[in-house]
Amino acid sequence: MALRRNKLRTILTGFAISWGIFMLIILLSAGNGLKNGVTGNFADRIKNTYTIWSSSTELPYKGYKAGRFIILNNKDIQFLESLYQVEEVSPVQSQGGTLVFGDKSRSVSMEGVKPIYKNIQGIKIIEGRFINENDMKNKLKVIVIDKTTNEELLRNTEETSMIGKMVFINGLGFKVVGVSKGMAFGEMGQCYAPYSTLQTIYNVNEYYQLTFTTKGLNTKEDNEIFKAELKRRIAAIHDFSPNDQRGVWIDSEMINSLETMRIFNTINIFIWIIGIAMLISGVVGVSNIMRITVKERTNEIGIRKALGAKPRSILLSIVMESLVITTIFGYIGMISGMGVMEIVNMIMEASGAGTNSEMGMSVFVNPTVDIGIVMMATLVLIVSGVAAGFAPAWNSVKVKPIEAMNYR
Amino acid sequence: MIKLNNINKTYFGAQPLHVLKGINLDVEEGELVSIMGASGSGKSTLLNIIGILDNYDEGDYYLAGKLVKNLSENQAAEFRNKLIGFIFQSFNLIPFKTALENVALPLFYQGMNRKKRNMMAMEYLERFGLKDWAEHYPNELSGGQKQRVSIARALVTSPKLILADEPTGALDSKTSAEVMQILREVNATGITMVIVTHERGIANLTRKIVHLKDGIIESIEENDPDKMDFTKEIK
Repeated sequence: MALRRNKLRTILTGFAISWGIFMLIILLSAGNGLKNGVTGNFADRIKNTYTIWSSSTELPYKGYKAGRFIILNNKDIQFLESLYQVEEVSPVQSQGGTLVFGDKSRSVSMEGVKPIYKNIQGIKIIEGRFINENDMKNKLKVIVIDKTTNEELLRNTEETSMIGKMVFINGLGFKVVGVSKGMAFGEMGQCYAPYSTLQTIYNVNEYYQLTFTTKGLNTKEDNEIFKAELKRRIAAIHDFSPNDQRGVWIDSEMINSLETMRIFNTINIFIWIIGIAMLISGVVGVSNIMRITVKERTNEIGIRKALGAKPRSILLSIVMESLVITTIFGYIGMISGMGVMEIVNMIMEASGAGTNSEMGMSVFVNPTVDIGIVMMATLVLIVSGVAAGFAPAWNSVKVKPIEAMNYR
Repeated sequence: MIKLNNINKTYFGAQPLHVLKGINLDVEEGELVSIMGASGSGKSTLLNIIGILDNYDEGDYYLAGKLVKNLSENQAAEFRNKLIGFIFQSFNLIPFKTALENVALPLFYQGMNRKKRNMMAMEYLERFGLKDWAEHYPNELSGGQKQRVSIARALVTSPKLILADEPTGALDSKTSAEVMQILREVNATGITMVIVTHERGIANLTRKIVHLKDGIIESIEENDPDKMDFTKEIK
């Protein structure tokens, strides 16, 4: 084959193809890595949740001055529970305090929550369990501590686990049942206890945060309408202007996640456009090399025709050549691209790069690409390679043998 | 073997060129014919038409009793492959194939398997004393050797007709004599042969000399090659 005769040119063209596939894979993998990393933070969260936060008003209303702090209370919970769209309300009641274990102490924020809170917040349990229905029903004094607190308490002791140990918060004893990953902010630990237990102890009627799950709200439109209505009704309960941008913050996980997905879809489209442009440049390269090769082989083709070569055999030999170039180099690009990303992935997993363990947040996880997509891209390239070889091959077949032989 | 009736051929370029103006020629089976003429007389064009390497505009051409007109590429390829062997002035060997591969190529287009075609090709190379050169590439061979390879290639399919376009044009006189000797021996086995040349010495070695001038046959001369002292006549 003619490939052997012009190695450098073939290799350079092949490189363009390999590079196209290689970059496509790198780009897609990086995009996937970012997507996996960011969405991974919310992956364990259920989507049909709302959170309402206390905040201060910014408009004066009915004689109240602007800047009044709105604190959520049991009236809000009753109101939410009366709505048919609301499945379960999960109030969060926060208590600051000092956690004492043996001779160690640490300031923590203790949150009284329901079991569903784990799914709403996507809390990851690394040891033991989260608060359960039994804890709630029996108002047990159990607690889930965060990873950093867990490490602090175990430091310089013989103990390997805090599970089952008794800790004291503001003088009250709680049994540790689980350790959660992350969500500790600086020196402040974050603990979870059953809502019912804390309600019995502190009997609060003030909440800075209310979360609840909904049912039947499946689209962005549904959620936006519901959210606006909710804001209006809560404004009426607390006597602040329905037009107030603040007062309370309402956050819909569904809307957020759809927004996030929209951003990643845009990034994905962008990546595909770049990748396809690169593939096209590779195909143009093959098409060019085939045109030049056929021109150079015109004499040879003429001789072959004189010796009795049929058009089909000439066509086939040229198309095959094109096919071999694109297949081999496409394959090289595919393998090296996937290889590089696998290595990157391995190194990242080993070193923990891309995730912030302190915050329990990740930005870049598992940067690999679906093999099916890669195969498709390579296949497209091969098909285009054949097409690229076909046009010049067809032209050469049509030339009269004597003209081809005399071509200089 | 060859029957040409009023063959006309015009090249349509910027200036239309009427190269063959009504050629009538019969070549019987086993004949050794030369076509002579100055350059531009149309002798190569005539040979190309006979070899189905080029088409003609008017007239009828019968090859081995079959009309050669408006053939499809596939039919033409089959005719060339089975009936005709070509010998060119510039040898037209494929440079990146060995002598053996070059000779075996026409057999490849007959669909013969590699082992068999290499065996046959080797036989023909041996016949022309090129056995030791079988694995060499054309650029490693002398002019005479190259022409003998191309003769072997022309004969390997056992064609009925050999067409030679200035077969000695690129060779010195001694080698030319050898090549002509080979061609005459090939003809003696009964294969029809048409040689295009502008050298009288070459033409004198054929039985029939067709003189071509400005696209028409001027005369056809009968000749007895055995009377000629051929070493003196060449060049």
